[in-house]
Amino acid sequence: MNIKNSMGRRLKGHAEETELNLTAVMNIFLILIPFLLLTAVFVRIAVLELSLPSLDSAGRSAQVKKQKTTIINILVINDTGFELKSPDIKLSNLNKKQTEYDWEGLKQQLTTIKGKYPESEDIIISPVSTIQYHTIISVMDRCRESGFPNISISG
Amino acid sequence: MKIEDHETLTTFSPGTKRTKRGTFSLKLTSMIDMFTILLVFLLKSYSAEGQIMSITKDLRLPESTSQMQPKVTSIVAITQEWIIVDGRPIVKIEDIMASENMLIKSLESELSKIRSISEGIGEISDDMQGFKGNITIQGNRDITFDLLKKIMLTCGSTGYNNMLLAVSQIE
Repeated sequence: MNIKNSMGRRLKGHAEETELNLTAVMNIFLILIPFLLLTAVFVRIAVLELSLPSLDSAGRSAQVKKQKTTIINILVINDTGFELKSPDIKLSNLNKKQTEYDWEGLKQQLTTIKGKYPESEDIIISPVSTIQYHTIISVMDRCRESGFPNISISG
Repeated sequence: MKIEDHETLTTFSPGTKRTKRGTFSLKLTSMIDMFTILLVFLLKSYSAEGQIMSITKDLRLPESTSQMQPKVTSIVAITQEWIIVDGRPIVKIEDIMASENMLIKSLESELSKIRSISEGIGEISDDMQGFKGNITIQGNRDITFDLLKKIMLTCGSTGYNNMLLAVSQIE
């Protein structure tokens, strides 16, 4: 018995073995975790705002004729890739790389347009009818990130 | 030799002393670790404002980096089989794809009904609740532009010109 005691003291050094009282911490955890689990949101939903070009085309075209200074860029999405059109800029077609769209190229061309017309903010996205919804959303994201927040979609 | 045996016993089982007294201590360290990680993760995903919008089961929204918060509007959901307006199934996707007509008749009548209701509410109460022309479109990520175009055209023709496309937010 003596040996054991002396051994114990030697092993533990100067500090006595202390035990934390974790009951309170555990209680907090047990209450907080179910509460947070109930209120946790795992899928956050956001929205993209989109205004349709108004249907009365007569009034619209008259308006467009008046403000000739607005630069409108057109982005066609088709099955083979993107075609970006901007006034007075020669831009090559961006073909798909295997199955992926050329997002890098699109970003570069948009930056080029933004560099030439810094105050231009309008872009019209014109997908062909087989394009999938998530592709359109990704294109809209890229346009917004490159500084074209006024996005319209035309069929 | 006997002493050495005793020594090894004490060294490797520090709990012996307690067990003899009739109490035992749980090894809580890893459990506390786990709880702490879980707590941090849950606090991160905690949202105080709650969700305005819920999505139906067979709907996979496309991902986007948009930060704009959803508004309280009527919801047109495009699932794999049905067009659902505010929880009521309206028309089957197959039927829309089959028809050549750009305008979806049943959706149009449903939307104009909703519009007249919200205009009615707008007249009674303050203009807070009235018709604003906002509509939320929850589209499955795989639908084609063909279908989307028809739905957008129908919404536009009933006066819902501001469309909010619901997306699932990514960081």
